[in-house]
Amino acid sequence: MYYTSCIILNFKMDKEKKLNELLASWEDTYKKGQLTLWIFLSLQDSKKYVEEIKDFVEKKSNGTITCEEQSLYRALRKYEHIEVLKHEPGKGNNGPDRKYYYLTELGKELFNRFVTRNITLFFSEEIQRLLKS
Amino acid sequence: MKTITLFLIRFALSATALTIIFRYGLSYGMENKSAFVVASAAIIYGITMFILGWYFGKKDGEYLPIYDVGFRFHFTTYLVFNTVSLLWFVLGLNAHNEKVKIIYITAIIWGAVLITHFLFFLWTRKNSINNLYKEDLFD
Repeated sequence: MYYTSCIILNFKMDKEKKLNELLASWEDTYKKGQLTLWIFLSLQDSKKYVEEIKDFVEKKSNGTITCEEQSLYRALRKYEHIEVLKHEPGKGNNGPDRKYYYLTELGKELFNRFVTRNITLFFSEEIQRLLKS
Repeated sequence: MKTITLFLIRFALSATALTIIFRYGLSYGMENKSAFVVASAAIIYGITMFILGWYFGKKDGEYLPIYDVGFRFHFTTYLVFNTVSLLWFVLGLNAHNEKVKIIYITAIIWGAVLITHFLFFLWTRKNSINNLYKEDLFD
């Protein structure tokens, strides 16, 4: 009896371990493309400087998306280069001026089309039902 | 189009310093008829230039993924090498048995390769948006 319980317990632990590993692997891949969406979401809200974008992303994603400032700066540099973002100087707290980023018309249009094609479909009744089941 | 970046300038400066050291080693080796010095200078120069290009190229790509299939760094190397080499002769720093003709021949052959590289860049340009690598835009 004791031996059988040990086997069942081991089996459950193995399954849990495997599930966690699979989840981590899936989430790693899933999150790679998420940063852009979260940056755009934060700027859809209002003009923000880098630390504010970082806070927004981490807070609103319940900590599931974390971003290094360096990767954030790199992403913002690229988005500015392709003209979906711009920045303007704004007052900092007793320090030098900060760069406040905002979406351009092209950026807003891009965000809206992306959301329509990739996010809105999750709100359909059928998908909602499947997600809840 | 953003073509001249901080890392490209750093690469150009480092390449200039390396090329001057290489030219000195080459002239010294030729003046003293030492095949070992000439060969060592060429091998060390080749390896260090490769490492330099790889390092600054990587840093440059991390800063902004400019689509150029390596052309900017290639063109900079071409300019630096040939300018330093020509000036070496103009300033009379060459060995007595070094011929300036070699510099011209190198520039012409290398120039043809450079033009081919540029044409390849133009041909594959459709893989970019605003001169940035498409696949690196939203990574």
